[in-house]
Amino acid sequence: MNEAQSVPLRFSCRRVGVLAGHAFLEAVRQRVFQFTTLLTAVLVVGSLGLRELDFGGAELKFIADFGQGALVLFGSVLTIVTTVQLLGGELENRTVLPVLARPVRRSEFICGKFLGAWAVVLVFCAVVTALLLAALWVRELSVLAGPTEAPVLHGGGAPYVGVLVGGALQAVKFGLLTAMVLLVGSYAQSNLFAQSASFLLLAICHLQYLARDAWQTGHGWLERLGGGLIGLVFPNFQLFGGEYLMAGADGATLALAGRVAAYGAVYTAAFLALAVWSFRQREI
Amino acid sequence: MAEIDNVAASRRQPAIEISHLTKDYPLPGGRQRVRAVDDLTLTVATGQIFGLLGPNGSGKSTTLKALLGLLRPTLGECLLAGVPGSNPAAHRAIGYLPEAPYFPRFLSGRELLRFHAKLCGIPRTGREEHLAELLTRVGLAQAADRRIGSYSKGMLQRIGLAQALVSDPPILILDEPTAGVDPVGAADIATLILEQKSRGKTVLLCSHLLTQIEEICDRVAILHRGRLLAEGALDELLGRCDRQALVVDSLPAVELTAFREWLGERGGTLHGVERPPARLDRFFLQTLEQAERVAAAPAAVTGADSR
Repeated sequence: MNEAQSVPLRFSCRRVGVLAGHAFLEAVRQRVFQFTTLLTAVLVVGSLGLRELDFGGAELKFIADFGQGALVLFGSVLTIVTTVQLLGGELENRTVLPVLARPVRRSEFICGKFLGAWAVVLVFCAVVTALLLAALWVRELSVLAGPTEAPVLHGGGAPYVGVLVGGALQAVKFGLLTAMVLLVGSYAQSNLFAQSASFLLLAICHLQYLARDAWQTGHGWLERLGGGLIGLVFPNFQLFGGEYLMAGADGATLALAGRVAAYGAVYTAAFLALAVWSFRQREI
Repeated sequence: MAEIDNVAASRRQPAIEISHLTKDYPLPGGRQRVRAVDDLTLTVATGQIFGLLGPNGSGKSTTLKALLGLLRPTLGECLLAGVPGSNPAAHRAIGYLPEAPYFPRFLSGRELLRFHAKLCGIPRTGREEHLAELLTRVGLAQAADRRIGSYSKGMLQRIGLAQALVSDPPILILDEPTAGVDPVGAADIATLILEQKSRGKTVLLCSHLLTQIEEICDRVAILHRGRLLAEGALDELLGRCDRQALVVDSLPAVELTAFREWLGERGGTLHGVERPPARLDRFFLQTLEQAERVAAAPAAVTGADSR
């Protein structure tokens, strides 16, 4: 007994995988995932019905933008609610006690939660992006087969590559948001606080341009310092928008998307490390 | 030879050692602190069933959490088989049932056990058979594939006990294992705990059911306001090492006097004559068993007729 225990418990990817699978199963069985995915799917498919309105001809781009908007909005809500539920729910309901009483490192627990929550959001992104691509394809086919001239095809066909890469960038962004929510949840004492603080962080990250403006063109040193600090600490979520991809995805724009993904990965690693550190300090 | 030395060493090594454990919690505002556990020192020898008693708020759960490394002690140290409880490696040796266990509602009982078995690294070969056997042992074979959200309080305790046993650990830490369980279930759990002891396991348990503690524990400790009030073997604490009770049919006064004299001639003393206390829990179990027998009898007759 003593001999087996004296062997140090090293970080195990197997245990992280078990915890991630458990978190994924929990999240997909929750109604919030099912409801959000269904609602977003209905919106994306429903965008086909909006073609009767006159948007000036760029209908396929409108469908793509509408779908991306739904992905961004509901993906953010799903990421925050699911991640808070996966960590805060376990802490609040004390289901975490028997798990941490197992030979499990706290870093493995947080990494498992991260991967499980992110996997759920990846499934969401994959489903919505696939539906969006299908909607674009259906509309493109119907336009091409139509008797009248097709103004919607100005500037090429549907932005399939743009939608695909845009969906991937959003998935990277949601991974980063998952890590940020885990950091908040690792010290939050209630789910309400964790959710409120996470939505506040989301807003700050989307309004990064204000901080960057203050940093570059601020009036006093305090404003510039504050802007600089906020600009450095919080990632800029606007970079993940990928609007430039919708106009046509060439080598240069794809390279830019790659750099944005790398930027997101670096911030994700940093926030995840902070979440692990914070959770290790926590008394349960 | 080395193996024998290791076995001998593990026998000498106490399963659980708590030395000078003190735990303070900050009160809101952060300036004042409340002491939940105050200089607690306890040792649980390997193979014992040790009962931790005390009223609500006496520091039992805090002690267990500190032992498991879920809380950082303000002072003192907790060891599980010689390894600090804060080291996750020490958790290889334990199974833990928390107080009022709450498990993910979205899982079935079998899925919960599978999750814990995977965490403990139990190999895939034979895992499902092991889980089925555990579910049968805790009386949940029929409800194994039902969602935990639909379980009663007693069923939650049983599935909690099964998850504590999933890795067949040498040390079991059970916080109120019979809370909310009916008397039949409580008796089953007591049998299961005694079965673990017979297999050489160490059990540390907290309970408010003093009768049950008295029946199954080798030693107990009583906590109050975080302090240790008493600790020792039950016979020592209750002062009954040198006394015995004889239960006989009622004797007439003359015979009782004769018995007293007979005892006196042999240097003994009859300290008291009283009716043995009736145990409601035993009466309850006997009544249920009788009802089960009566219910089973016609079925057996019907079965015989139909054949």
